[in-house]
Amino acid sequence: MDLSFSPAQQILQQSARTFLQQRCPLERVQELALDPRGFAADLWKEIAALGWPGLLISPDLGGSGGSVADALALVEELGRACCPSPFIASAVIATGVLGAAGGPRARALLAALAVGERICTLAVLEQSGRLAPEALTLPVAAPGRLTGRKLFVPDAHVATDVIVLGRGAAGPAALLLPMNRAGISARPLDSMTGDKLFELNFVDVEIRRDDLLGAPGDGWALLGPAFRVGALARSAEMVGAAQRVLELCVEHARVRVQGGRPIGGYQAIQHACADLYRDVESARWLTWEAEWKLAAGRPDAHAAVAAAKAYAAEASLRVARRGHQIMGAIGYSEEHPLHLFHKRVLAASLDAGDSTSHLEAVAKSIGLA
Amino acid sequence: MDFGYSAAEQAFAAEVRAFLRAHPPEAFPPDGTDAGYGSGAHSRAFTAALGERGWLSLTWPRAHGGQERPMGFQLVLLEELAAAGAPFGPLAGCLQVAESIIRYGSATLQREIMPQVARGLATFWQGYSEPGAGSDLLALATRARLDGDHWVLDGRKIWSSHAGIATYGTVLARTDPASSRSRGLSMLMVDNRLPGMDVRPIRSLTGQVYHYEVFMDGVRVPHDWVLGKPGEGFGQLLRGLDTDRFWGRFYKAPFLHRILGLLVEYVRAEKPGDAVARHRLAHAATEIAALRALFHRAAWLIEQGLPATGPVSAAKVMADELGQRVLSLGMELLGPYGVLRAGSRWAKLRGEIEHQYQTSWGHTLAGGTSEIQRTTIAVRALGLPAEPRGRG
Repeated sequence: MDLSFSPAQQILQQSARTFLQQRCPLERVQELALDPRGFAADLWKEIAALGWPGLLISPDLGGSGGSVADALALVEELGRACCPSPFIASAVIATGVLGAAGGPRARALLAALAVGERICTLAVLEQSGRLAPEALTLPVAAPGRLTGRKLFVPDAHVATDVIVLGRGAAGPAALLLPMNRAGISARPLDSMTGDKLFELNFVDVEIRRDDLLGAPGDGWALLGPAFRVGALARSAEMVGAAQRVLELCVEHARVRVQGGRPIGGYQAIQHACADLYRDVESARWLTWEAEWKLAAGRPDAHAAVAAAKAYAAEASLRVARRGHQIMGAIGYSEEHPLHLFHKRVLAASLDAGDSTSHLEAVAKSIGLA
Repeated sequence: MDFGYSAAEQAFAAEVRAFLRAHPPEAFPPDGTDAGYGSGAHSRAFTAALGERGWLSLTWPRAHGGQERPMGFQLVLLEELAAAGAPFGPLAGCLQVAESIIRYGSATLQREIMPQVARGLATFWQGYSEPGAGSDLLALATRARLDGDHWVLDGRKIWSSHAGIATYGTVLARTDPASSRSRGLSMLMVDNRLPGMDVRPIRSLTGQVYHYEVFMDGVRVPHDWVLGKPGEGFGQLLRGLDTDRFWGRFYKAPFLHRILGLLVEYVRAEKPGDAVARHRLAHAATEIAALRALFHRAAWLIEQGLPATGPVSAAKVMADELGQRVLSLGMELLGPYGVLRAGSRWAKLRGEIEHQYQTSWGHTLAGGTSEIQRTTIAVRALGLPAEPRGRG
């Protein structure tokens, strides 16, 4: 057993924390959340210069060939800073799909993603809102024409490319399309989380043979492993955000004086903070254990990732919700950062599989087929 | 990061499983009537069987007859015993007392007690709480005064698990009559067979006996049966608190996993296709997995000699409250059958759920209430200011 971060991971975490403190302070996060575009092109450029988008891309394509654990260490810091970025969608999930698919199109895009020249998003969910192969109904054929709609597509306003999941003759199929292909249009969804989500419409879009990622019918097989890593990344992001909520609450409880002493000296507040601590710590180590299982290729890894995502969502949301009670009225104001973390956790809890879908996987793993 | 057991620890796990297959828990008679908080019944016979295999002295230094195995062996042992529902009730007490004697015990204690612990011939109770000293332990009134080469012990302890069926107790007593609060306390090792010991059972709400009240009237304890120097008892207690709480609850995740398995088995047989039951069991499974991960994090910190108070207290709170939730779920799933006791004609799952359900309500009180744990986390791990203490 060794539950420590490697020296390289510690350096990555520390430098990420310092960078984000300087370049993505909470005032900036606030600004971006209120801005309908909500994308800091300058910040993304700097992030690209640090090499983060290429963390999971192999060195021969200009990436740094890091591990999932490295990515989680970084994402926990992004969550801690509440930094809005297309990192998880593009540099974790889409990167995972492209890496698994291979081929000249995917490899060329990976090389461009690694240096931050392009950003790739995914269009998976449809009106059912369900993340499951049988929920894919968008009819696709390559070559062919594509008409239909996808929902809950993140960062479509800044993405240059999109991976579209649909149903082909041989089963689920994944297409890689440039966002500027004729007939593709994005309409923003007005989400309370501040995340930029879109409805993506396809009207008679030309699909070429080489737009297909992998073999016909491979779509879900390509997506599954990438979404598992994405689920871990969302878990780490939630843990990072929950950790920061805990810190904000403890700090507030130390300095806010009522009745002649800091409110953190009253058991009612102490015990609430203790519960936040329990939730953050348990979610963090369950997430890291799942990462270890996935990396070790253990047979129970898929169920472990599902359990970690469902639990991290529940625990982190509990932290955010209880945090509001500890913080009192000031935490209810828009200018206070607490709601940003709450909304970030909420958004992350819904991405890469919501809790219902993950609990379904857990149910199967404990013998409830 | 590596959450796995080493090859040697995995081989040991296989050895423990093989032993449990050859010696099923039912083969060992329990000494008491109450199987406790999920840590299995108190069974001297089973404890001796563990001792025979050297499994009670896995991590001790060789100088004390131990095997100097890494802590992972002890984790493996508890996980396997809990998963099998073995009667290992006395085990945590044995581990804790052995650690204290190794660290603080006189040559006499080390010579007389350690071999008995190693062979599984001694089991222990803790004499901390008193009628007037519960969460405020420092209000305790039990006293010991030195008379020649003996301590003379007078006082009354309560809620001591296993005290009526164990061999020795560790009793916290005031040895400096002029002292107050945390000073002047000492930890004495007391042989249950000494004259003046009167151990009376307390019937619990389960209808069975798990706790005892211990009356000590002029009990003469040899002077070198004090642990460490007189007056240092509370410091010892505090230093050992994290590991005591850790070993007192580490088995909880595998225990709850076993209960979950029983409930899954029940739902499959009796309520196939019940979507609500399915969802709630899956949810419980995620919480049990998180509990296990938190305990393993605490284990790693303890093994590294790093501060572990926060994770240990958080794990204890979570273990005990999750235990109540899982057993409550069990009662709901069993419906009207849930309340039928073991042995009752229509009891489901051998009547185990009702018993564990009832015992779960004691667990958030024992070993430091959940409120005490939360205060500990807030003050010691998060640095919040301590609440002012009342006078008295």
